[in-house]
Amino acid sequence: MAEHYSSFEYKGTRWFLQRITAVFLIGVLAFHFMLLHFVNHAAEVTFLGTQARMQQVGYFGTMIAFLVTATFHGVNGVYNALVNQGLSGTRRSTVKWVLVVASGVLILQGVRTSLYMAGILS
Amino acid sequence: MSQSYDRGTIEDFGRWKEFSAGMWAWIFHKFSGWVLIGYLFTHIAVLSTATQSPEMYTQTIRSLESLAIVRVLEVGLLAVAVFHILNGVRLLFVDLGVGLEAQDKSFYASLAVSAAIVVASVPTFLAGAF
Amino acid sequence: MSTELKEKETEAETETESASSRQSRRMEQKRQRASRRDLKEEAREEIDDADDTIEIKVFRFDPEVAGKEEPRFDTFHVPFFKGMTVLDALIYARDHYDTSLTFRHSCRQAICGSDALFVNGTQRLGCKTQIADLEDHLGSTIRIEPLPHQEVVKDLVVDMEHFYDQMEAVEPFFDADELPEGELEEQRQDRENREKIKMSTRCIWCGACMSSCNIAAGDNEYLGPAAINKAYRFAMDEREGEDRKQQRLNIIEQEHGVWRCQTQFSCTEVCPKDIPLTEHIQELKREAVKNNLKFW
Repeated sequence: MAEHYSSFEYKGTRWFLQRITAVFLIGVLAFHFMLLHFVNHAAEVTFLGTQARMQQVGYFGTMIAFLVTATFHGVNGVYNALVNQGLSGTRRSTVKWVLVVASGVLILQGVRTSLYMAGILS
Repeated sequence: MSQSYDRGTIEDFGRWKEFSAGMWAWIFHKFSGWVLIGYLFTHIAVLSTATQSPEMYTQTIRSLESLAIVRVLEVGLLAVAVFHILNGVRLLFVDLGVGLEAQDKSFYASLAVSAAIVVASVPTFLAGAF
Repeated sequence: MSTELKEKETEAETETESASSRQSRRMEQKRQRASRRDLKEEAREEIDDADDTIEIKVFRFDPEVAGKEEPRFDTFHVPFFKGMTVLDALIYARDHYDTSLTFRHSCRQAICGSDALFVNGTQRLGCKTQIADLEDHLGSTIRIEPLPHQEVVKDLVVDMEHFYDQMEAVEPFFDADELPEGELEEQRQDRENREKIKMSTRCIWCGACMSSCNIAAGDNEYLGPAAINKAYRFAMDEREGEDRKQQRLNIIEQEHGVWRCQTQFSCTEVCPKDIPLTEHIQELKREAVKNNLKFW
């Protein structure tokens, strides 16, 4: 209702970032599927093969960017979906922080795994 | 005016037969989105075996891939990902205000193309699984 | 017919009234009952004479009358004539069968926006919907319900208060920076700009779009298509004052403003005035992003 609309400035930043990450993900996700199911078959993946790919700086960088954008795009999408269903108040901030923490953990673990894959950590 | 009757959720998804193209596109996009983010978490979890030892990583992936059910689920994942990509492209055009009159047709097109890509990929995905 | 609406109250009051007025009231009631019988008789004859008849199934609910608090559906048989609209069928049913059947209507020409109904599962204007355009209108029953996602007050009447609040939230009035010099001089708008906002000015506040919107149903604070379209109508008008435009953009770019739109196109599909609502909402999203990029 009318009183909900204050002059508090909410910018459509998340909306815009969701679109920007989408554009990036379209390309990278398609590439990822092609590479690991058609060029290399998923069933024939070995650690050595993974390492060979991850030791190329460009590939490594792309995969890290893939991880970060996909996490943002996915988690932000989930958050939007919940807000659209009318999630609000304390439950909403709780959900928000749970999602932020989950994303943080996912990205950290993903980066750590990548470093092992690239042979930087072992 | 003291009371009024709220008909609840019956009027929403109970009416699925009356949904139009745009609504179906939204439902499928949301569903595929949930699947993909769920998969991202499991994917990183599986790949995390690389932090244990190279052998364990190779072995985990090999044994998972030898299961027929995993291969079938992978086809499902492909279907979901391809649809999410194609409908995502459609949505980007909608955001840019391009081709809004053809939004229903572009939804059917993304469904059809997804189906075609998935069917064409089945041999590659299931090779050696059965 | 409207005299009959008070019938129930009249019966309760009778005790305290003098004998003569009681008698005159009884006479009046008797006359009304007789005329109702005539109307039913007339309806029977008209149905016999008609080439085709249709069957409408109408949602009934009245929290104030015992026995009607539980929602139900009533079926009416109505003679079909060429050019008959859903509203015509409802009026026929009310006038011939059940005077308590309640629905809003006024102009009967898709301008007043009071008879948006849920007909065969779609939001439509009763007066604009030709019975003949409904699928299998002679063979199947036409289902008429009040607009979904709004509370039902009685029968087909829903509470529009929330919708009106949202419409007013975008400050739907014109506020130019400068007015023309002469007292009687018009505020001119060029043709191109007029074309741009033309469709958005057609809104009749019927609420069909808001009712069809899945997001508005879940998120009560969402402005909804009609209100955003209203904002578009003023924000895109070249005569609009700069300050007011910024203020209006601030309102629509709130969290529960344009960003909630998921481009399901439901509103665009049901709009009886064919306003490209989704297109307008999308344009405002881009406008808001552009507006903010400047300040980054």
